[in-house]
Amino acid sequence: MSSENQDFNKSKAFLIDMTKCTGCRGCQVACKQWNQLGAEKTEFFTGEGYQNPPLMSEYTFTRIKFRDYEKNGQNEFAFYKEMCMHCNEPACASVCPVGAFKKTKEGPVTYDAERCIGCRFCMVACPFGVPKYEWSKALPLVRKCTGCYSRVKEGLKPACATTCVSAITYGNREEMIKEANKRIAARPEKYLKKLYGSEEAGGTSVIYLTALPFDELGFKPVTKRPLPSYTWQALRLVPGIFLTVGSSLSLLSWFNHRKERIAKEEEQRKSGATPKEES
Amino acid sequence: MTAAKIIVNEIKGYHRFVKFLIVLVALGALASLARFVFGLGVTTNLNDTFPWGLWISFDVVTAVPLAAGAFTLGAIVHCFHIKKLEPLVRPAIVTGFLGYSLVCVGLLLDLGQPQRCWHTMVYWNPHSPMFEVSMCIAAYTTVLFLEFLSPVCEKFGYHVPLRLLRTIEMPLVVAAASISTLHQSSLGTFFLIAVDKLHSLWYNPLLPLLFWLSAMCAGISIIIVEATMSHKYMGQPDESELLETLAKILPWVITVYLTVKVFSLVALTQGPLFNRPGLLVLFVVEVAVGVLLPLVMLMNGNVRENNRLRATAAWLVIAGVILNRFNVSMFGMEAPGTFYYPSFLESVVTIGIIAAHILFFVLIAKYFPIFEHHPETVDYSIPDHFRKTEKGHAHGAAKA
Repeated sequence: MSSENQDFNKSKAFLIDMTKCTGCRGCQVACKQWNQLGAEKTEFFTGEGYQNPPLMSEYTFTRIKFRDYEKNGQNEFAFYKEMCMHCNEPACASVCPVGAFKKTKEGPVTYDAERCIGCRFCMVACPFGVPKYEWSKALPLVRKCTGCYSRVKEGLKPACATTCVSAITYGNREEMIKEANKRIAARPEKYLKKLYGSEEAGGTSVIYLTALPFDELGFKPVTKRPLPSYTWQALRLVPGIFLTVGSSLSLLSWFNHRKERIAKEEEQRKSGATPKEES
Repeated sequence: MTAAKIIVNEIKGYHRFVKFLIVLVALGALASLARFVFGLGVTTNLNDTFPWGLWISFDVVTAVPLAAGAFTLGAIVHCFHIKKLEPLVRPAIVTGFLGYSLVCVGLLLDLGQPQRCWHTMVYWNPHSPMFEVSMCIAAYTTVLFLEFLSPVCEKFGYHVPLRLLRTIEMPLVVAAASISTLHQSSLGTFFLIAVDKLHSLWYNPLLPLLFWLSAMCAGISIIIVEATMSHKYMGQPDESELLETLAKILPWVITVYLTVKVFSLVALTQGPLFNRPGLLVLFVVEVAVGVLLPLVMLMNGNVRENNRLRATAAWLVIAGVILNRFNVSMFGMEAPGTFYYPSFLESVVTIGIIAAHILFFVLIAKYFPIFEHHPETVDYSIPDHFRKTEKGHAHGAAKA
């Protein structure tokens, strides 16, 4: 983990206002184009509503989830842009044995394909189910949204944020949270009074505003505690345990062997056998 | 006769069961070849929802505690100095060495980029339990290999390395126990990150400690089972008396494990325990059949003295540990409404790995002195031509 003393307020974050999303999926297309991702064969109405493709995958880093609901007797859609949350303290970065994931100071969590050994621990660890695998390949790698780090570090906005007309705002995390709270305060009847991503998994670089309850849209309930702390509370004991077990076993065996040696010598002396040197 | 012919003739003389094992191993090797040709997605039932399947759950997470006999017994015999158990050490070390080598094979098959496995040694991330486990497994496999070298050197009569191995024996035993403590527990740490995924029947902060304790239960039980079976099927010496001693130690370890498990379940678990009937059944089976039943059995002296019953209790403990590992790494991780089952090829590979373990154990027992010798009583003093001249003289004179 590279980010212990990082000021996350200064890193960049997405503010995604799902009430402004029209479901045009321009972000999906922009993501595919910028990341040169292949197309997926899809069918309509396989999932809920019009969502397509049915799941994020090695070819789809972001997608709009559709949710049907009824308002004043009319059928309405609610949307959820699914993507990597770019956690402040990412679980993937903490569990990766070779440190292939990195939280950059700009905000995005990047993935170094050159280092990856393909153990898929990141997929097990991610509370949002983001990293996907190249199941089609003989020597597969992990794929995920990189927050368009190649663009962000040059001062550009991520592809999806650039293409979106209204729903995605991109800027300093602090300002995004301020802006989100301002919107809630301005139209309290419209918004749910909760920001998803401000505290989830210890805070993420993607902040959501919605009108419908989060779990209804498919947002996963996630602990507020940064995930790396869960394993670190056990792992930090490792050197201590190693030294304790090692030294106590060494002492124990030294003591037991000494006892045996003394007993043997005693026996030898009693039986009157000559000591070794004189034999 | 050419070497190949000698080998073929040798194999022809094997028991039918051993030949059967060879076939299974060959099938497993073919299946793992298929994995590299066609890819993980086609040959396994793994997907983005179930990135870890049978190979992680059995070949790694379960096989590691099953190979725990070596470090447990090594520590009992050498550190606590219960010397009469010595004859059991070598078979245990062979089992451990085979177990760990096959864990490495299983891991390599499961990795997406096995050719890069050395990356863990170069790009360190000490925050990762996987990093720690891979370092420990590499270190411990080396230690076990060195310990395993003793019977090999004896077989070929290499006296100097034997001397050296004898000197570093104690440090190796201590290293084995400390390294094992770390990675056996870290396998539990793996699942601490699955905060909202692993069901609360198994998820609690003491998971690493529970993994370590249950690994010791498995280790002791494996030794009991293995010694009983090699006595019965391989005509090896009867070690019942020693196994009784082990069967006396085992209930204590189980009791500690059970205490910690109950404590963590009652005091440390957050979240509902009874919301998934299927998982609840698995949990009850695991604890009742794999922990309580063998505990009650082993507390009875008649059971400990009876070969068959003692082995049965040990089998139950092993089954309990296997079920526990599957519960933690597979069943407990499944979200409601989803289900993973291993594909045909995945199963063939795993069966091949199990067969390889038994096969290699039988072959090593056949060709190397792992049952016959009690290393402490064998004289490894350097033969004459290694000694200084005057001592050689003295020796020669005595002989004459």
